[in-house]
Amino acid sequence: MASSREDETINTLRERLGQGLLNSWVSRPRRAYVHVRQGSHREAISALLNRFPETTISTITALDLGGEIELNYHLWCDGTVLTVRVTVPKSNPVTETVTDIIPGAALYEREVFDLFGVRFTGHPDLRRLLLSDDWPSGQYPLRKDWSPGAGLPLKAPPSRIGNPDMRDASSIVNVVVGPQHPALHEPERFLFKLDGETVLDVETRIGYVHRGIEKAAESLMFFQNVHLVERICGICNVAHTVCFCQAVEEIGRVEVPPRAECLRVIIAELNRIHSHLLLLGVAGLEVGFETLFQYIWRDRETVLDLVEGLTGNRIMAEYNTIGGVRRDISPSIAQTILREMRNLRKRTSFYREVFESDPTLELRTKGIGRLRRPEALKLCVVGPVARASGVDSDIRRDDPYAAYEDAPFNVPVYDEGDVWARLMVRVDEVAESINLIEYAVENMPSGPFRVRVARRQPEGEALSRVEAPRGELLHYVKSNGSAYPERVKVRTPTLANIISFREMVKGYYVADIPAILVSLDPCFACTDRVALVDADSGRKWICNLRDLRSDRWRKQP
Amino acid sequence: MAKVRIPQILREVASSLFKRPSTRGYPIVKSIPPEGFRGRQVFHPERCISCGLCARDCPSGAIEMVEVSGKRMPLFHLDRCIFCYLCVENCPRNAITSSTTYEMASLGREGMIMKPNGQPMNKEDNGEVHRS
Repeated sequence: MASSREDETINTLRERLGQGLLNSWVSRPRRAYVHVRQGSHREAISALLNRFPETTISTITALDLGGEIELNYHLWCDGTVLTVRVTVPKSNPVTETVTDIIPGAALYEREVFDLFGVRFTGHPDLRRLLLSDDWPSGQYPLRKDWSPGAGLPLKAPPSRIGNPDMRDASSIVNVVVGPQHPALHEPERFLFKLDGETVLDVETRIGYVHRGIEKAAESLMFFQNVHLVERICGICNVAHTVCFCQAVEEIGRVEVPPRAECLRVIIAELNRIHSHLLLLGVAGLEVGFETLFQYIWRDRETVLDLVEGLTGNRIMAEYNTIGGVRRDISPSIAQTILREMRNLRKRTSFYREVFESDPTLELRTKGIGRLRRPEALKLCVVGPVARASGVDSDIRRDDPYAAYEDAPFNVPVYDEGDVWARLMVRVDEVAESINLIEYAVENMPSGPFRVRVARRQPEGEALSRVEAPRGELLHYVKSNGSAYPERVKVRTPTLANIISFREMVKGYYVADIPAILVSLDPCFACTDRVALVDADSGRKWICNLRDLRSDRWRKQP
Repeated sequence: MAKVRIPQILREVASSLFKRPSTRGYPIVKSIPPEGFRGRQVFHPERCISCGLCARDCPSGAIEMVEVSGKRMPLFHLDRCIFCYLCVENCPRNAITSSTTYEMASLGREGMIMKPNGQPMNKEDNGEVHRS
């Protein structure tokens, strides 16, 4: 029964593509792969969208195979992660865009363009995404024939922002915010186009903390990479390690002991509570409600103390490893966790009341930054942002991992789609997480908490997804049979969500910008990629970079 | 005008007025880390068999094998250490053990070097360590 869904999606493609479908296989329940002929990916994706209108794209993974570049379009389609695989020759890496049929792919195509040099014809705005603006052209760091440290010349001085098209009307003002820590303590740059107090459009530039982690991961062994991916994001570090370990465990066919899976639920949910409380506090700060910020962060301390007791550190848990977790839970910590969860539940219901009824919050968050359900689906947003716009999706329930399969929990969904709904989803999720932790502590299976795993992993590939505090996190790992991965691809939830910021902020006041931004819970260190979306596409350029871009960019339609 | 409500948070503010502050008075009052906290490692030279596994496994390259009185032993660059404790976990002879020491701030990089011959952060005995 379980496999019929995967077969159905594959059959949909086979009917449409015929000979264009070269190969297809199902690696495990909810994971299907199809290899299509060069140039057929567009047809394949539109066939899927016709058959399953709620199909969303998770990301595009590119791999350098030597003579050609392989593109993997990971789609979430009718309860299956379907990977559409297509290759393009490396000598002439040009292929057709899919952004017109699935707009959520815009940033992922730009990411592949930036790091692999694949050009997507028909992409409305194919510009640099992650690398700095003064990065030399023709250097694609994730290709295998590229290696760091070759003394790259920085060609241009730090760029000046300029968009001539945005300067036409005299009443319209451009305001550049950032990149020095606007609102949040992370670097990102926004170019707001304002008419009086109203936001007409916004352009986002990220990548200021791009550290090249995907490249670095290729030079570390699998078990060392657990500690590298942990540092992609300080706040959701557990989500990254769970996701990476699961991918490697799938490649190595490692059976994780049930006790470890249960412990992973505990640490992942503690992580979620701490992340959500952090965000709710910051939301209070950004709307000018500092008292709330102080109280929520005080209560967050208890969660950090629990994480410290369980794992040995407050933030960087270093708890997961390939084959299980690194420490067992002692009965005394289990008791402390249960006791503190009871206290925290009281506090959470108090904060729920505050968020529901406080007049300050009501004025600053209700009806602000609306993202409607059709837009949310079209832009493929994930996590609390999607759930606040009425999209009922949660990886823990839809694509269960660790011990979530048997754990009882609800998925809060709100239809309002405004800042308030996005905050309320998180308040409700904290309450659900508390229930999950209590359930996991009380129903802890006995047995070992880790199995030893060889350093060398067999050849293979795996796609792992977890519900990080900010939404769907995806790791794609490919192994070539050695102790080092061939490719590690990370799609963080903020990259999927930042694209919706433009939809949310348009038409609202300048004073609402911090509240709207914070309701996305963006994590740029985590994302260290992301960029801008703009209506006036194709006509933008950054003055100092003409020499870098000129030819290629001008040719864009 | 709608009826004026008393915000929930005021209750909380009023009750907090007469409580002690939630913050700790560090550095006068030091917090005691829980058992199992990952602090500065302790190295036991007499147990070391010079296998170099710690240096090979360290994800951040914080361990360097140096020669101390004819024996190759690890030197810890604590400024690079991420305290993942892979060295503690993977040492075959338990020559590296844990401690809960967390106050490691130093004015210079040399203060963050832990030499194999026991005492960390000791500038004088440079002559004894020979980089291999």
